[in-house]
Amino acid sequence: MPAEEMGKLSDRTPLIFAVSSVVFLAVLAISPVKDFRREWKQYKRSYVRFAQTRPDTKKLLADYRPDIDQIWLPGMNVVDRCTTCHQGITQASLSDNAVPQPFRAHPRIPHNIRDWGCTVCHRGQGPATEVAEAHESTLAWEQPILPTRFIQASCGACHYADLPQTPQLTKGRELLAELNCQGCHRLPGIERPAMLGPDLTNVGTKVSREWIYKWLKEPRTILDKDGNVTVNGYETEEEPRMPKFRLTETELRGLSGYLSVQKAKAFVPYKIDARVVAAWSKNPELISQGELRFRQMFCSTCHSLAVTRAGETKLIGGDIGPELTKVGSKVNFDWLITWLRDPQGYLPHTRMPRYGWSDEDLYKVTQYIATKLADSDLLVNVPQLGQPTEDEIQLGRRLFLEKGCASCHVIEGLNPQRDFGPDLSAIGGKNASELEFGAAKIPHNLVSYIQAKLQDPVSVNPAARMPQYNWNQADLDAITTALLSMKGPLPSSALQDLVVPRKEVAFHPTGAFAEVYERYKCYTCHKFNGYGGDLAPDLTYEGSRAQRQWIVDFLKNPQTLRPTLILRMPQFNMSDKDAATLADYMTMVLQHPAANPAAIDARQLTPAMAALGKQLYEVKYQCQSCHTIGASGGYVGPNLNNAGGWLTPAWVEAWLRNPQALIPDTIEPRRNFTEDEVRALTAYLMTLRQTIKPQKTTGAAASHTPTHGAGR
Amino acid sequence: MRLRIWMTALSMTLAGVSGCRKHAEVVKSDPLLAAYDTEADWTDAQHIVPLSYRQAQGKRIFYQQCVWCHADATPAGPSNRSNLTPVPPLLNDGATLNAESDEYMQNIITLGGSAVGKSAMMPPYGRMLSAEEISSVIAFTRAIAQPPYQPPARAGSQYSAK
Repeated sequence: MPAEEMGKLSDRTPLIFAVSSVVFLAVLAISPVKDFRREWKQYKRSYVRFAQTRPDTKKLLADYRPDIDQIWLPGMNVVDRCTTCHQGITQASLSDNAVPQPFRAHPRIPHNIRDWGCTVCHRGQGPATEVAEAHESTLAWEQPILPTRFIQASCGACHYADLPQTPQLTKGRELLAELNCQGCHRLPGIERPAMLGPDLTNVGTKVSREWIYKWLKEPRTILDKDGNVTVNGYETEEEPRMPKFRLTETELRGLSGYLSVQKAKAFVPYKIDARVVAAWSKNPELISQGELRFRQMFCSTCHSLAVTRAGETKLIGGDIGPELTKVGSKVNFDWLITWLRDPQGYLPHTRMPRYGWSDEDLYKVTQYIATKLADSDLLVNVPQLGQPTEDEIQLGRRLFLEKGCASCHVIEGLNPQRDFGPDLSAIGGKNASELEFGAAKIPHNLVSYIQAKLQDPVSVNPAARMPQYNWNQADLDAITTALLSMKGPLPSSALQDLVVPRKEVAFHPTGAFAEVYERYKCYTCHKFNGYGGDLAPDLTYEGSRAQRQWIVDFLKNPQTLRPTLILRMPQFNMSDKDAATLADYMTMVLQHPAANPAAIDARQLTPAMAALGKQLYEVKYQCQSCHTIGASGGYVGPNLNNAGGWLTPAWVEAWLRNPQALIPDTIEPRRNFTEDEVRALTAYLMTLRQTIKPQKTTGAAASHTPTHGAGR
Repeated sequence: MRLRIWMTALSMTLAGVSGCRKHAEVVKSDPLLAAYDTEADWTDAQHIVPLSYRQAQGKRIFYQQCVWCHADATPAGPSNRSNLTPVPPLLNDGATLNAESDEYMQNIITLGGSAVGKSAMMPPYGRMLSAEEISSVIAFTRAIAQPPYQPPARAGSQYSAK
């Protein structure tokens, strides 16, 4: 190297050093700047500025901590730094919706945040200190945060028993049970009844091959102009229990052929007395009489009929049994008569009670069903199928097992595939990486997966065997919530100890009562010790509430206590013996310890007390806003026209003191009556009596016009 | 020379990257996904009102206890409202209820109508519902009010984090 150049280099050396030192310093400075600008630190500073705009700045700043805040609960695998940014969650003054996130207070819930952490309920990544990392699901992280709309699922992970605060979760669990999802899937905590779908061992004696074909093709029979099923007169669409299976023409022919030959046990047709037929067959009032009896017996409590009003077709009636608008064109007429006389003879586990039919009633009602609840066009689009060939029957048998029909419907002698659908007992805890999204263009997270699968099973997996349901948004969200709550066995024993199990309820009466109770299926609508339906009053303490004679009279001729109800107690044509058996059992066994009818003698109640009671009822407490006496009053509570002939004084007193102590979920508000007022009101109510004329059940009823019931 | 350019470029990039980081922002999400429950506006069914946890608890209690007289349709069908004189206000009747303070509403529900000089037909719920439950019903009332409820102005409450 020439000296000249060497000199040049040495001239430039300080410059190079100077520049590189500056660069080096700058590079060193990046680190503190980066640290200063960390996302969580920005939220910290933002919170301080925010706190200064609040009226309680002093308190907010006193609670402020400048560093990372962490909730560490080793027993529950919780390391949650969420409160680093969500700094106001325990500040009551920040609960207003106008407070911006992430500073808003957490709503007051029964759990203390410091004892539970955040991710136990909200999911997401507890240790993360950046928004995206904490909230979203990235490759490295397992669970995105759970949208608040489904947050009730987290309550359900430990609370297997239903909570009043989580209606969406409860509804989802009910839907899972109602739609028989447990037929194909393993679903912990969802009750599996003795019979899911109807037993089809003898279905060939009930319906034709053509009807089966139509039903399999499209099980929804009532569609309004928007194509929705409407139930109970409400605009809400309710999902029919039988979903739609995607079947090809060959499959429809095979299955309908196979089912139409299921006639293992031929029924013996019941012959209605020839004299009854002779007396009524030419009577022009036969059909209207049949309709009247159909209404009087309150078939509509469990079954709905389509009623068209103002151009809109709605189903009106209950949903315990199938809707019956076109049942006359569905079932074999002889089968219908036999079924009505003894439903349990055909389906041992049916919820249909056995009515005490006279031949006359049976003739009139079945004639009404065959003529009016019929539609000659019902099977008009179904090809003439005729007798199935042996090949079709064999194909049908195979499909019955392969399509999963056998998971809900029993056919004697056919063994269903066990665990037909995937086990869903831990579906709610699955990570996105464990799910198969196929070609579906949906966000890759668990919620989207569950909803896509429920709405259109083939969108996620083209080979899915799951049938097609037709959800509305609320039901879809409810069922998603229930599935998200099923997280399987909890990861640690500390969490396992927190599980609130579902209370097993059972009511196993014995003896003569049990036989009658089973025959009339009382538990379909009424609850006994927590077991049974919730359509009708809870009868756990009926023996304390009602007088024996009233129970007998009511069972023989149910009068309406709540005039606005469409769904009411059916008239069973109960024999004296059955009514006495039920009434005796109730008075002896279904007693509340705090309301012993023997404890109060009705004679202690004087007319002076009753007069005061009347004043209290009408003026001071204005009970008539909810209860009817005579022609006036409200209809929230039962009418009290016959309170003196219906209720026991002991019950009335106990009830006035504390209604919820007797029936926990009654809506009657607990008042602050003095003991004298309780006595006076009881005395007044016990003076109210009304004799009820027995309803005529024969020809004389023709002059009555039904004022309530289906379609009115 | 090349080294210098390279170093400068590197430091500029690093500074730039750290400077470009997302600023702390107020998180905005779909209000319906962030809602504990929803209620369709009584006057416009297409308008869905998102409810917070507290408002949702109020909704549940409303549909158990209050719906019978403070709505025109009930789970059982007809309403008892038309049956009563004076006619009880609909729960979403903002023209009537927005003017009443939370304290007044809490009192009339807890103690009943007669305690505040209104109709005795409104029963007291103080021995059946907790104060918390009653205040959640009021929160629900405010959420569905038409015209919408404006909370009384309080010092500082109109500011938000900037």
